[in-house]
Amino acid sequence: MERDNRRNEKITAFVLFGFALFYFLSSWRMKMGSPRNPGPGLIPLITGSLLLLCTAAYLIRVLRPKSGGRKEEKAPPRGEKNYGAIFGILGCTLAYPFLLEYGKFIASTFAVVYVMLVLLKPSRSLLSFFLALGMAVGSFVIFSFLLGVALPSGFLEDLLFRIGG
Amino acid sequence: MLEISQSLLHGFAIALQPVYLYYALIGTILGTIVGVLPGLGPLGAMAILLSFTLKLDAAGAMILFAGIYYGAMYGGSTTSILLNIPGEAASVVTCIDGYKMAQKGRAGAALTVSAVGSFIAGTISILGLMGVVLFLADIALRFGPPEFFAIGVCGLVLLVRLTGGSILQAFIMILLGMALATVGMDFLTGIGRFTFGIHELEQGIDFLPVAMGIFGIAEVLTAVEQKEFIQPVKTVGLRELLPTREEWRRSFPAMFRGSILGFIIGLVPGPSPVISTFVSYICEKRLSKNPGEFGEGAIEGVAGPESANNAAVGGAYVPLFALGIPFTPAMAIVLGTLMLHGLTPGPNLIKTKPDLFWTVIASMYIGNFMLLVLNLPLVNVFVRILKVPQNILMPVIVLICLIGVYTVNASYLDLLMLAVFGFVGYALRGVGFQVAPLILAMVIGPMLETSLRQSLSITGGNLAGMILRPICLALYIIVGLTFALPVVWKSIKKSRLLRRSQIQGKIPDK
Repeated sequence: MERDNRRNEKITAFVLFGFALFYFLSSWRMKMGSPRNPGPGLIPLITGSLLLLCTAAYLIRVLRPKSGGRKEEKAPPRGEKNYGAIFGILGCTLAYPFLLEYGKFIASTFAVVYVMLVLLKPSRSLLSFFLALGMAVGSFVIFSFLLGVALPSGFLEDLLFRIGG
Repeated sequence: MLEISQSLLHGFAIALQPVYLYYALIGTILGTIVGVLPGLGPLGAMAILLSFTLKLDAAGAMILFAGIYYGAMYGGSTTSILLNIPGEAASVVTCIDGYKMAQKGRAGAALTVSAVGSFIAGTISILGLMGVVLFLADIALRFGPPEFFAIGVCGLVLLVRLTGGSILQAFIMILLGMALATVGMDFLTGIGRFTFGIHELEQGIDFLPVAMGIFGIAEVLTAVEQKEFIQPVKTVGLRELLPTREEWRRSFPAMFRGSILGFIIGLVPGPSPVISTFVSYICEKRLSKNPGEFGEGAIEGVAGPESANNAAVGGAYVPLFALGIPFTPAMAIVLGTLMLHGLTPGPNLIKTKPDLFWTVIASMYIGNFMLLVLNLPLVNVFVRILKVPQNILMPVIVLICLIGVYTVNASYLDLLMLAVFGFVGYALRGVGFQVAPLILAMVIGPMLETSLRQSLSITGGNLAGMILRPICLALYIIVGLTFALPVVWKSIKKSRLLRRSQIQGKIPDK
């Protein structure tokens, strides 16, 4: 567990440093202006420089072998992680915009919710099916019918509109 | 004084309209549910509901959020007392004596004292808020860009110092937030910054998907990490809710002390409701004639901290309304809401939109009253919420976030941002980063940039001219002391320890 945390810390530190470097170099190309008339690049450059310094210090701190007395905010031990659920839910949120574009609201919402329910409770796939269906239709009714939100509509949504009058 | 009373009465007249009463009721119920559920705090709930407030007017949105904030403070105490589970961080201290009281069969008394204390604290903090905001707003009207820049810097630095944890990590979060705030078209020159040719990025990174991702999606990902655990639910009979005369006698002074302490601490940047509970608990223990009772079920240990965390909520509204600067992450979300409604909080808001200000103040009071009346009889209903399986609750939260973000701009990029920032928030939390300063900096960032650039233009690029103005200088001195004092204190302690060791003969004199 400790080793996992150390590895995650190192990855985070490298990613943060990489982002800071990229941000700093991008801001370097912007117009700084003069002290009397600061340009659009002034704040990004100050922010980028400070971010680069801080992330470099964090990277050094993470890469340095740990001494016993060092005080650092640590995430509490979390036991066995449910990586399937974590990456599944993340995948669902990433896939949702693409699904929404082609599958429209009800089908894509049903698919995403069903996958999430199954990931969190694999033993109840039939119940998950009906729950997902209920949530997809229910959320469409609440948001589209009751709140008047314009949601991507296709055949299923039109059908519901016709049924709903 | 007469003008204030008239304005407040006018605020009550608006807040008592059925539609606003409905928002206050929904807010307090939602807040209580959020407070009861461990993991999902008021911040997450406010972020998740942010997009839906666009359907309401600004006053309605503010009333809803005030209800959520107060409700969460109260809901957290219910599970702390009954189940020893702090629904959120500000209720951790209540577990110590509240749960002990429950074990001794005094759960009902602890819940009542907590509810009455929260109501008294809410009332005191609203009175304080009215007085301090108006006074501060009058002064703030005389502030120029250098003062606002100094206040922003001071707020962020104090937040870093008081949030706890690693200072370096907190600074990285603030700078990341500032960096995100610079994306989009420059407001003065119209030049695009970090847009990489993506047309949608010219408007900047929307605050909404970032907040909902970092708090909503990240909370879900953190919650599903572990296997599900359903808490056995404990209930309280209505007859058990009444404290004894002795318990009332001991509670009232603690409630008043907690309220005043909480309000003052609420004015300071940082997680003020959490800090206030600890300070109040220590204060009560020191003042008690029987400090040995603390930790064993002392009613003052419930009354003081529970009043303090509610009063801190009122205090936290002061810098937002008076200066337009949020000092806590929850207030950053409230500021974001106002901005989504086209309003800029600050001293001018009270002058230009007095109806909004006084309606919110009045509705806070109404919300507090609702909490007192509704929550005690419904305590068993709220506790049963813990029985809702996580595998159903979490997909619902994700779905609300997805629909919430989509409904604002119908933008697929916003949905992608939600997913990306959900992962970013989850990853950063996993290695011990506190993500709240990022959101705060993202909200304050544009204001800081504007005031710095305006200040430099006004002073002709003279930094000394910016710093040496009386208010600015005082604020920069506070910033300096915030960093210098702990170092000095540490070295004094170290030298004292060394001297003591030398006296005891452990370390020989050189």
